[in-house]
Amino acid sequence: MIKRRLTVPGRFESLAQIAEFVEETVRAANWNDDEVYHVQMAVDEACSNVMEHAYGSGWQGDIDLTCYIEDQGDLVISIRDNGKPFDPSSVPEPPIGADLESLPEGGLGLYFMRKLMDQVTFHFDEKNGNMLTMVKRRPQ
Amino acid sequence: MKVVQTPLAGNVVCVKAEGRLDAATVPTLEQTMQRLLLEGQAKLVVNLEAVSYISSSGLRVLLTARRQSRSRGGDVFLCCLHPRVKEIFEMVGFMSVFGVYATSEEAASAFSQPAPTA
Repeated sequence: MIKRRLTVPGRFESLAQIAEFVEETVRAANWNDDEVYHVQMAVDEACSNVMEHAYGSGWQGDIDLTCYIEDQGDLVISIRDNGKPFDPSSVPEPPIGADLESLPEGGLGLYFMRKLMDQVTFHFDEKNGNMLTMVKRRPQ
Repeated sequence: MKVVQTPLAGNVVCVKAEGRLDAATVPTLEQTMQRLLLEGQAKLVVNLEAVSYISSSGLRVLLTARRQSRSRGGDVFLCCLHPRVKEIFEMVGFMSVFGVYATSEEAASAFSQPAPTA
């Protein structure tokens, strides 16, 4: 199993470093360019949401990313922060293919995460904060 | 993120973005487009040839600029999409929302064509 970890300040300036970290990890598993790109985008959207919403409005803190490539080849990415609790059910679905002019703030990032990854799970508790876990199955 | 603006025929301005278009870098493009709109420049072409990554932050900036330019009698057309960016656009239906052209000149000349009725 491959396991890599990165802790960065929860600010937009960290996004390029996060993208590099994800690329190195996914390439270590010999996934192709499409898969690298899709995972990078899902993680970028997830971390941008943390920076903008969980840590926005004066909250500050780090983002901890842990990537595992499991023995059967699936990729698991955990993203933890200590910002405001995030409730995905509070984010409306974006009107894809319909009225994009009324696109709600934040919903598009969540849409991409769910579109690009096979599993997206949010968990919050007082001790550990927000924990997002995303799974991408090994490409066939 | 680097943004270069170039005048095109027909009172159109081309805005060429270069680099990753994510939440950290998108303010550079946003500020350029907002400044042009405030100066009364409502016909804009955004050249995305040198943008290989665009996140939802970048998509939102393009949508906002499009809405604002249309309210001033103009529009925002896009050109030279990188295949990766085109894939993202297709996922969210942007290809049917924006006018997308192969070159900046084609995009500029589309401003003088009658708008499609469909």
